[in-house]
Amino acid sequence: MSQPDLAGMLREARPVAPPELRERVRLVAAQATPPRRQLVTWRRVLLVAVPVAIAVAAGVLATRPTERRAQPIEPGLRKSVGAAVAQTDHARAANAPVAPNVTRVQRYSTSLELRVRDAADLSAASKHAVAIAHSLGGYEQRVSVETERASGSGEIVLRIPKAHVQEAVRRLTALGTIVSEYVSVQDLTTQVNATDRLISRLQRRLAVLRAQVQDAQAQRRLAALTARVEQLQRGRATTVRSARYATVDLRLVTRTPPAPPVHRGHGPLHGLGVAFRWIGIGAVYVVALAVPFVLLAALVWSGARALRRRREDALLSRP
Amino acid sequence: MAGSQRRISPVITFSQAAERHLDDVYGYLAWFTGDRFVAEDLAAETFERALRLWHRFDERRGSPRTWLCQLARTVALDHFRSERRRVRREERAAVPERYEERLAEGLSPQLESALRTLTAGEREVIALRVVLELDASTAARVLGISTTNCTTRLARALKKLEEAVDVAA
Repeated sequence: MSQPDLAGMLREARPVAPPELRERVRLVAAQATPPRRQLVTWRRVLLVAVPVAIAVAAGVLATRPTERRAQPIEPGLRKSVGAAVAQTDHARAANAPVAPNVTRVQRYSTSLELRVRDAADLSAASKHAVAIAHSLGGYEQRVSVETERASGSGEIVLRIPKAHVQEAVRRLTALGTIVSEYVSVQDLTTQVNATDRLISRLQRRLAVLRAQVQDAQAQRRLAALTARVEQLQRGRATTVRSARYATVDLRLVTRTPPAPPVHRGHGPLHGLGVAFRWIGIGAVYVVALAVPFVLLAALVWSGARALRRRREDALLSRP
Repeated sequence: MAGSQRRISPVITFSQAAERHLDDVYGYLAWFTGDRFVAEDLAAETFERALRLWHRFDERRGSPRTWLCQLARTVALDHFRSERRRVRREERAAVPERYEERLAEGLSPQLESALRTLTAGEREVIALRVVLELDASTAARVLGISTTNCTTRLARALKKLEEAVDVAA
């Protein structure tokens, strides 16, 4: 018997479902309505959620502020305020410099850089700064203001009584926006005390010398020691006097005029471009990290598939 | 163009598919299992499962007949596995009795006995390619193998059947 004949015979003997089975299947079809296709599935949710999460993360990273707010100042420690932060009175009070200790001999100096709007504001702020110094019993040590058109800068060194330096700084900071502050406190009490002790020692030696026979050599030594004591006393007095005043180095600058717009693609879609760049970077990382796992998964999957196929073949290899 | 790429909801309803392809599924299972009564149960189970999974059916990926045959094959394989476990359990106690059912009405005794010599896998490929007249690629998809493999398997099965018929004659 040829294969086409066999095929024909097999087709003729094709089994037909018995009526009982047909009825059973009809009942199956009728007994329940098929479940509706779910519009929201895990796969679809992930398909949307993952790119959105990446985009949000990229957006957050791309638009992360690089500026820092002004920090409270510690003595002897420079705190650079990168951002021009418009401060409220409360914030200004919180940022007041460390108070000088009036009972000790301290060299107190503070440097303050303020930003003002334009040259007119710069001029007015300079005058105000000097007025503030005068009102607090201080004086201006150096004033240098330069303006050119709308921009300019000024350097004012003020000497303020130490007891009023906090008030001075508080009022000076109101003249503009703080760009940076610097406070330095150097305690000179130990140095002054050492000078005092030295002077006392020298004075005792002077007294001893004066009690001795006054020959030419003794006279020379006496004169030298006296000059030395006077020098030390002058130096001490200068130190103590200068320590009564704090130095406030005020630097005023105008805002940088806005640069002419440069068309480098920084349009309204720039943020989107940055976000896509981050998405791309993220995708590269994901691919780099996922490739080994994907390969492993593919290996496991193909192994499991081969095993299943072998078991299936074994199952179906019997009559 | 974009519209054609979207997933198309099945035009055919489950009831229509069941009515239209019940004979195909039953015939395939009858040949595959070699037992018409088992095939009835498996066919019913196949359609119960198909009803539950009907929302997953996508006409672009294959006809309802192909999809139903794939489901039927899964059901039949599950049956074979459980049957093998049952037979193993029973063999520990006693040799189980075997009931020989007729594969189909209208087969000559020689052809019937020749078909009994074929393995389930061989009967399966004959059922799909010859009895249900599926083309090679569709049958290969149901079997989960390549088209070439399917063709080879069919040729071997037919040759074996031919030889068995000659021996029986």
